[in-house]
Amino acid sequence: MLTCKELVAHSSDFLDGQLRLRSRIAVRLHLASCTNCRRFIRQMRLTRAVMRDLPEAPIPDLDSLAQRLAELQQKGE
Amino acid sequence: MSAPPDAQLLPRLLAGDQLAFRELVASYQSAMRAVAYAIVGSRNADEVVQDAWLAVVRNLAGFQGRSSLKTWLLTITANTAKTRLKHNRREVLLDDIPSPHGSIDDSRFAEDGHWLLAPHNWHQDSPEALLTEDELRECLEKTLASLSDLQGSVLNLRERQGLELEEICNLLDISLSNARVLSHRARLKVFATLEHFEETGHC
Repeated sequence: MLTCKELVAHSSDFLDGQLRLRSRIAVRLHLASCTNCRRFIRQMRLTRAVMRDLPEAPIPDLDSLAQRLAELQQKGE
Repeated sequence: MSAPPDAQLLPRLLAGDQLAFRELVASYQSAMRAVAYAIVGSRNADEVVQDAWLAVVRNLAGFQGRSSLKTWLLTITANTAKTRLKHNRREVLLDDIPSPHGSIDDSRFAEDGHWLLAPHNWHQDSPEALLTEDELRECLEKTLASLSDLQGSVLNLRERQGLELEEICNLLDISLSNARVLSHRARLKVFATLEHFEETGHC
């Protein structure tokens, strides 16, 4: 039986689909009986979603860079 | 960030349409910077990205569409960065730099491996609700900035840019197991920041 600590160590691989069948089953069995780890996995998923949705800093020179690249392209560089 | 479809963008790029280049830069420059960061570090990353853009324009007419534009741009960026890095074999640093709110480390567990300090319920359970807090956004940026160049880049490419782990390994020349370790440790640090914020209400 997997411990909670081991589950946390496997959590990213579990979420990324990187676990072999045997480990995946061990994780699922543990989750079926452990509220704390179910909450942890739920919060890991939320953490990933937060990072995905975190707004990115605007690109400061976006327009001038686009202009320069377009001009180079037009010149057939 | 939703990128325009390649098939729609490509003819406009080839025609030298400035708006098309604007969309291209806006969609992919962050991912390109993350690749450059991982390979040459923050000091030289911006120059590498600039050089990569020039290489993109030089080679655009020859783009065959065998991969997506995104993959092609990131490959050019990685190659530009590796050329820049004269001594090509760098060590992959797995050493962990401490993060503002720590991680989910051994201190959270009892000797038998059970939780000693289990996670509490958070007040918010959607990313939209969490990210309405300006202070939390700034707090997360601080944690991300505390990661090493490589760890931060792997996390950025995986989560923010949506790359698969295998793609990240190919671009950065790191092993799959290293990529897994780097992204896992980075996630736990971000987790710890979110948890800290949810428990204390501040950064």
